[in-house]
Amino acid sequence: MDQTSSFEDQLSGLLPRLRRLAHALSRDPADADDLAQATIERALRSRDQWQPGTKLDSWCYRIMRNLWIDTARARARKNAREAPEEEGLNIGDDPRDAMEAAVDLKRIMAAMSRLPDEQREIVALILVEGFGYREVSEMLGLPMGTVSSRLVRGRTALLAMVGEQ
Amino acid sequence: MTEDEKFFAWLDGELAPADAAAMEAKVASDPQLQRLAEQHRALAAQLRGAFDPIARAPVPQQLQAALRPPAEVIDFAAAKGLRSLPSLPQWAAMAATLVFGLYLGTMVPQRGTGPVAVQGGQLYAASALNHALDTELASAPAGDVRIGLTFRDHSGEICRSFTASASSGLACRSNGRWRLKSLFAVPERQGTDYRMAAGMDPNLAGMVNSAMAGEPFDADAEKAARSRGWK
Repeated sequence: MDQTSSFEDQLSGLLPRLRRLAHALSRDPADADDLAQATIERALRSRDQWQPGTKLDSWCYRIMRNLWIDTARARARKNAREAPEEEGLNIGDDPRDAMEAAVDLKRIMAAMSRLPDEQREIVALILVEGFGYREVSEMLGLPMGTVSSRLVRGRTALLAMVGEQ
Repeated sequence: MTEDEKFFAWLDGELAPADAAAMEAKVASDPQLQRLAEQHRALAAQLRGAFDPIARAPVPQQLQAALRPPAEVIDFAAAKGLRSLPSLPQWAAMAATLVFGLYLGTMVPQRGTGPVAVQGGQLYAASALNHALDTELASAPAGDVRIGLTFRDHSGEICRSFTASASSGLACRSNGRWRLKSLFAVPERQGTDYRMAAGMDPNLAGMVNSAMAGEPFDADAEKAARSRGWK
């Protein structure tokens, strides 16, 4: 581990990837940035629990995943009750820089959000973030076989959804 | 591992060499599997194509601010030119819409009137900044405030990015006034030499990018918008 850069610096370097994972897990970009922010805040508060020499990204992803699980259910209930918020003035939260990319992202996020949570997180970590099966199995505390079978189900369902659009 | 799982593990490069070779041979002799492999490679590429731009985009200020210890957050009350502060909850709401790193104090107040006015929980351009936003053209820079891009945002308002001696930001026309959407301190190392060829603060550039609907105005459109009073 690089001793010269502070915990904050390392965390800062991870931000772009943390945001990407948050988008792969979340229903919309606003939720995604909320999740990324909550992850940063939790990571800073829990920094004593991180062991230098272990991978900071896996540690942060685990935090994000736990927060996501905590909030996903509550948010699903809330969203079912409320009309979607007006797209608005929240400048700076929208990572999209082209209409085309925006449409792609929206479409893929919609398909991802229809996957069961336990499949979506595996698809996000392996196909979007590029982690290996073993890393994900360790990160999530799941047997390899479970990771592998959820990945098959998730990507198969996803292909069917994207194909039908 | 089921055969299905083995197939995908092969696709992901997760099989041991011997198993991978066997799967390779199996797929090579099975057009259906070949097609499936193609579909899933395309799906994976589509996923990366959709999400990767996020990892390349500038990180929103709000998120970067979450990393900064509270001690480094600028003390608004200490900023000059803001004699009467609104009540605390208002500030909290404004802080949410503003960007941390805001450094009002560096925008030199002129004769007791700062370049920023506070009203109804919003920040508006005042004095020299307001004048520059009203009258200056990017095509004809003059004075201490330099206009960057002028464009319409997604709600149809005209917005202009600007750089002053110690800060840069984005203001949008709202009910006949320039409402400040963001304000960044120009990093110290750049001193007062703000006429950098490279232009914009990357954070500001990110905001402009996501706010802009369509193309930025060219010189003619900018002039025309000025003569229409930025409506």
